[in-house]
Amino acid sequence: MSDAILSIENLSKSFEGNQVFNNISFSVEPGELSAIIGPNGAGKTTLFNLITGALVPDEGKIIFEGRNIVGMEPFDIVRLGMARAFQRTNIFPRMTVLENVVVTIITRLKANLSFVKPWTSSSQIRRRAFEILESVGLADKANQQSGILAHGNQKRLDIGVALALEPKLLLLDEPTAGMSPEERWETVELVKELWNRMKITMVYIEHDMDIVFGISQKVRVLCYKTLLAEGPPHEISANQQVIEAYLGEEV
Amino acid sequence: MDDMTSSSRAGWISGITVTVVLFVLPVFLGQLGKTGEYWIWVSTEMIIMALFAMSLNLILGFGGMVSFGHAAFFGVGAYTVALLMKKADFPLYLALTAAPLVAAITAAIVGWFCVRLLGLYFSILTLAFGQLLFMIVFQWYTFTGGDDGLHGVPRPEILGPINYYWLCLILFVICFLIIRMIVNSSFGLSIKTIRENMERAKFIGINVRRYQLLNFIIAGAFAGLAGGMLCELNRFAQTEFLHWSKSAEPILASLVGGIYSLAGPAIGSSILIFLKIFLQQVHRSMVEVWAIVLGVLLLVVVLFAPQGLVGLYQNIFKKSQS
Repeated sequence: MSDAILSIENLSKSFEGNQVFNNISFSVEPGELSAIIGPNGAGKTTLFNLITGALVPDEGKIIFEGRNIVGMEPFDIVRLGMARAFQRTNIFPRMTVLENVVVTIITRLKANLSFVKPWTSSSQIRRRAFEILESVGLADKANQQSGILAHGNQKRLDIGVALALEPKLLLLDEPTAGMSPEERWETVELVKELWNRMKITMVYIEHDMDIVFGISQKVRVLCYKTLLAEGPPHEISANQQVIEAYLGEEV
Repeated sequence: MDDMTSSSRAGWISGITVTVVLFVLPVFLGQLGKTGEYWIWVSTEMIIMALFAMSLNLILGFGGMVSFGHAAFFGVGAYTVALLMKKADFPLYLALTAAPLVAAITAAIVGWFCVRLLGLYFSILTLAFGQLLFMIVFQWYTFTGGDDGLHGVPRPEILGPINYYWLCLILFVICFLIIRMIVNSSFGLSIKTIRENMERAKFIGINVRRYQLLNFIIAGAFAGLAGGMLCELNRFAQTEFLHWSKSAEPILASLVGGIYSLAGPAIGSSILIFLKIFLQQVHRSMVEVWAIVLGVLLLVVVLFAPQGLVGLYQNIFKKSQS
């Protein structure tokens, strides 16, 4: 328990009287690649919003690397080493692909308050940006305007921006949302490869059960305002409660 | 990479050409007697208002913050120069140094509140603060002269119309280069990032409010300098400098010129002032038609060239190349 990278303790949250979470707790171990699943409206994205500081819980603690981060601003939490990619593509559309990544590196290095030198002048930042673009397969599109990229590439850039923060924990909100079947598996391979190579703890939300059971070490099921089940994929797919509540008969 | 250096070289060449032309312009205008003197005065005002427009565009175009109260800092700069020179016998160079400093302090106080709000609410609060400062200047008769303004701001003897024009041009070129430097710096990239997607900017670790406030202060400082320069040109400061209608001028200029370009607002501002004066010269009664001309012009720009004249030029230029 104590060596968990992220611990959720007795978390509760309501919106105008509607309870979304009732006293949920779980821990994310360092280095795990795990999925969060649940029916629509189970609060998966809300959970990410709580963890990243976009929302404040009514009760409970969120411990990131031994520190309670409840009430901290999103930009401060990011600086502790937690990054996030979004369900709906969330990039800086009128900037180039390279600029998207460069500004993220500049921010990680706390170099935003440099007024004199052009941002293009640091070859070190530029090199690092290209390494990241290489790893998400966008290096050849570095000078294109990011807002006109194809949807799949925008999602990849979104992941690239998160990677540029060199996070210890990366939260991916439906990295394959809106993609064609081929694109989906490409992205899944990409995520798995990044996880292997960079040793980042990754937690992702996903709807596609083939993906979830294909690559996760651990699956957590959100349902009925609570954490219904938690465990390795084969346990989850055999869990009677989960089958009844969510998966249906086909699994 | 090659593309970038060649376009920046083109920028330097056109910038230097324009500067040289503007430097020799008053020499020719000086030959034309009274009319020439009038046009030197108009040109000086155009340079000053171009700086004012560029200062606003730091927050409007690059920062994505629509301020309806930018004239407050322009006016504060003007009154700083008027008060220091008239009542405290400051020399011009010290007064013109103080103007952006006092404007920056004012912007820091106003901005501290305004950056807490988003979008339209930010805009309305800037308007409210702008009008508040306007009312203070308007009512505080013993200090600011109220609606009479402050007249008879002294002018150093060596600064005749042409020399003052040159001084303004030099200050403009320096400010242009500083603003260009800021826009291209890491700070400039950060404020563009906030403009593009404020929510995501937070999630890459940018303290959005802090950078918006800093940008607001910088913009206010340049506006203050422009206000001080206009005060010395007219040799008076008046409440109209702080009025919300003065805040609209750089917004319109930026829209016409192009808010996503560095020089766009300066070009837009110069075109609008030139058109207005030109219409006045054609016939006195044309003053009344100005609002209609401006309205039609804005309509055309918003509908057919939403990126302004600079954007339009770039589109045509790119197309003709490919």
